[in-house]
Amino acid sequence: MSLRQLKEFCIPGDWAEVDAQLGRYGARAFVLAGGSFVHGLDARGLLHEVEALIDIRNLGLDYIRAESGGLRIGATTTFAHLQAAPTLGESPWLGALADALACPPRQIRNVATVGGSVAASCPYFDPPTALMALDARVAVVAGGARREFPLGELFAGTFENSLRRGEIIVELFLPRPTGRSASAFLKLEGNANDLAIVNCAASLEIDAQGRCSEARIALGGGVGDAIARATSAERLLQGRVADDEVLWSAAEAVGEDIDPHTDHRASAAYRLAVAKVLTRRALTCALARSARTPT
Amino acid sequence: MNDYSVIGRSIPRPDAWEKVVGGRGYPVNLRLPGMLHGTLLRSPHPHARIAGMDASRALALPGVKALITPADVPRIPYSATFFKPATSAAVVRDMLILDGTVRYAGQPVAAVAATTASIAEHALELIEVQYEELPAVFDPEEAMREGAPEIHAGVRHNVIGRPTYSLGDIEAGFSAADHVFEGVYETQRVHTCYMEPRVCVADADAQGRVTVYASVQHLFGLREKLAFVLGLPVSSVRAVQPPYIGGGFGGKLDLAPIEPLAALLSLRARRPVRIEQSRYEDFITSSRHPAKVYLKTGISRDGQFTARYARTLLDASAYASEAPEVIRVHSRFGLMLGYRCPNAKWEGTLVYTNNMPGGAFRGYGAPQGCFAVESQIDEICEKLGFDPVEFRLKHAPRCGDPHPSNAAWKLDSYGFDECLVRGAERFGWRSRAKAASGRGVKKRGFGMAAQPLWVSGCLGAPDTYEHSGAIVKLNTDGSADLATATIDIGSGQTAVLCQIAAEELGISVEAVRLSGGSTDTLPVDAATHASRTTYASGIAVKAAAAAAKKRLLEVAETMLEASAVDLEVREGMVRVKGASAHAVPVADVVKRAESPFVQITSKGTMQTVLAEKGTIIGTSSLAPPRNPSPASAQFIEVEVDTDTGEVRVLRAVYAHDIGRVVNLAGAEGQVEGGLQQGIGYALMENMRFEPETGACVTADFLNYKMPTAVEMPRSIESIFVETDEPSGPFGAKGLAEPCLIVPAPAIANAIYNAVGVRVRSLPITPEKILAGLGKI
Repeated sequence: MSLRQLKEFCIPGDWAEVDAQLGRYGARAFVLAGGSFVHGLDARGLLHEVEALIDIRNLGLDYIRAESGGLRIGATTTFAHLQAAPTLGESPWLGALADALACPPRQIRNVATVGGSVAASCPYFDPPTALMALDARVAVVAGGARREFPLGELFAGTFENSLRRGEIIVELFLPRPTGRSASAFLKLEGNANDLAIVNCAASLEIDAQGRCSEARIALGGGVGDAIARATSAERLLQGRVADDEVLWSAAEAVGEDIDPHTDHRASAAYRLAVAKVLTRRALTCALARSARTPT
Repeated sequence: MNDYSVIGRSIPRPDAWEKVVGGRGYPVNLRLPGMLHGTLLRSPHPHARIAGMDASRALALPGVKALITPADVPRIPYSATFFKPATSAAVVRDMLILDGTVRYAGQPVAAVAATTASIAEHALELIEVQYEELPAVFDPEEAMREGAPEIHAGVRHNVIGRPTYSLGDIEAGFSAADHVFEGVYETQRVHTCYMEPRVCVADADAQGRVTVYASVQHLFGLREKLAFVLGLPVSSVRAVQPPYIGGGFGGKLDLAPIEPLAALLSLRARRPVRIEQSRYEDFITSSRHPAKVYLKTGISRDGQFTARYARTLLDASAYASEAPEVIRVHSRFGLMLGYRCPNAKWEGTLVYTNNMPGGAFRGYGAPQGCFAVESQIDEICEKLGFDPVEFRLKHAPRCGDPHPSNAAWKLDSYGFDECLVRGAERFGWRSRAKAASGRGVKKRGFGMAAQPLWVSGCLGAPDTYEHSGAIVKLNTDGSADLATATIDIGSGQTAVLCQIAAEELGISVEAVRLSGGSTDTLPVDAATHASRTTYASGIAVKAAAAAAKKRLLEVAETMLEASAVDLEVREGMVRVKGASAHAVPVADVVKRAESPFVQITSKGTMQTVLAEKGTIIGTSSLAPPRNPSPASAQFIEVEVDTDTGEVRVLRAVYAHDIGRVVNLAGAEGQVEGGLQQGIGYALMENMRFEPETGACVTADFLNYKMPTAVEMPRSIESIFVETDEPSGPFGAKGLAEPCLIVPAPAIANAIYNAVGVRVRSLPITPEKILAGLGKI
């Protein structure tokens, strides 16, 4: 039953062609940025009306630019390309992203793109959880007009994004923290080809006194309709020295920020227990990485 | 090392290269001119009567060439099992090709053939079916209750049968016990996950004779069952042997609905019809039966079994199919025969439910039993302070003992004790770390399990085909063509049989080629199942090669001026025994047999005689004389994360008595593949269903999880205890199944050793471990 209505698969070379195709097919166009999850969306019956697949890989959106203010990643940059970027290995503040990109199997990493992975709005993916903890911003373009907004605003629900008709994600921007900062990501999975049962990314900024000046924790997997920010846990870390006791209490507080569900892969109770464990471990790892970071 | 030139060597698989570049021999890659594409309409309901069906709109769709509804199929009840006679009293004939009653979600209700697959799929949507829904029952215990829905007319309480087994006096045995152990052990439904989907192409000719190409494990079973359900004589069906199929593991050991439906569609359309199952359809076609085993064991103070009692509830599923045989094998080889005990009793119950079909799966009922027995032995040893290796040694049969399943045979070659001893030594069992070793939240654990008794085929199993045949034909270039109806299901049967033929013929293995054939041309053969091919087909191949060699030596008599009894073949040369200089190439002898009577050569005319004339060919068709037992012991090291419950299998040491090893690399591959399926069974694989509709929610690899390379231990060591089976081809026995039977209890025991949590239901998910640790 796959893509039964499909009439056209096009790979436009410029924006004029993109706009023309979008104009022709309207709501029946589906934008591809990599395509590794097309079968997954189709199997869930989400592509039955699609008549045109518009592959945006030839629009020059495959780039990584390290700027003083942060990192700009073009939407069609593959996981593998990003993984190989020297800045990723050299920057503890990007640790969560490096961890998350290593999770999908190689075949996926060679095809899946950063823009595609966030556009899918699948809370079970790994890189989006890391990007959330890194305070990513999304840039979208429609008919030549560009706007930017926080990544969290993109996720409207499972497999549902907030993009307006005709909008295409062109870039993600990760603001570089000013102080000593590091991040980490962890995932619990059934096997190495699995979507997350629970995943967690934590990013910490540590001030000169060793206190957390900023803490961001994001959780994915079956813990809500979209990737969740653990704001209760973050508040407990804010302004405090992250010793064992603080990390434990922050991890415990995650329970207030997530709404785990039960499915055939795990129960809500198990997801909750593991979300706390992963949060504690991700924070511990981020903290350890930050200790190795020059201020 | 042995004295053989080919046996025992690691040889490359003759089909490996072709498979790597796409495998054009796979049935899934077969296309015939003018071929139509068939698809099946499947019921969304688990239990329903079809009150009406209107297919007129589908038939009117351009491109649709044939359509089959329940009204169009022969009303011949059948059992899907390939390897038992169709009319055997031992099988339950409860299926129709298409039935007016649906008994599981996904059961086919109609089939369409069209010029393209998408037209056929579209046509399915135009078929209108009125279902009269019936109450469904998915739990076997509920299915037995008064007032439960009746799934098959006249089967009271849905109980198909209550087989039993007993030995000695069970009550006296328990009275004599100083300790009694009891437990309930549950195993889940899993799928074989072969790589190539079930697929077939049926091609009916103008006389109504059907040629069929299919991805199945039994060529003659396919012919017999297909002819039976179509109401045709067997000679009206020709099953063509594929060079290999893409995996089976038991999942292709029964007639699937696609084969008779493709045949019926082809008979209507008079064109070849191909049906390929989707992965979803494969998942709901066959599975390992879930079982609930209650096991009670009496032990004397000195650690002797005094009584062993077991009760098994097997979810036979919507159709009985393999279940009656599965539960028989389960009771003997899974539960009762592996260890000596004077008093034993077993009671089984086979129950219909509205669940998807069960079937055959590597191990065939034994994993469900072995998990109970080997887990409980670990509990006994832990409680009473026995060493698990010593305890098993004490109760295991010994070489030379009467065979526990048939006193007419002896365990002539039997190295189970050596498996235990050598496996323990290699693993470092005695010097293993203490339970729950390891720093921090990750704990190490060590466990073992064994399968003392198994089969090399089906001799002795009631009403089960067990014979093989082969044709060995020598060519004028010194090569040999080997034909057997054995199906290579991916585990290297072809390589092993070529080695056996080569060894017997005295030629190189590269000079033997497995040629194809069909049920028209090949001798009848049993299925590729029951760890039988190396042993049972091997005996037939060796016999055919011996017959060809005998003829070869007769022809060589005049060339070498010696009597055939004084000749031998080594390294492709026929020579006088003890006089290696006096030799001629095999090719020259074959040429002489195939040559004209008078040959004009540059050296003048050369004459041959009548007695030398004719193709050098040997044939065989015979049953193996015995059913010798392989044996297996496994040692496992795991690491358990006590915060998340995740388990990693770090190391596996296997010791197998498989008689003489034929292809070493192939045998190691079998063992490693078995471990992979065993880890899946132990830790993650589980078919799950919607509680209301019975629809499978794990019918793809996003949702059904099996171990990948990443989850496999970095260290897998195989020890082969090479006993020399006197009845086997060059001393060989079977191998295929114990390597999958033992991992689940070995892993369960190792997990207990690591964290003190005894999980008696599979799979042992992280969640069950955390619950056992009291953390959720």
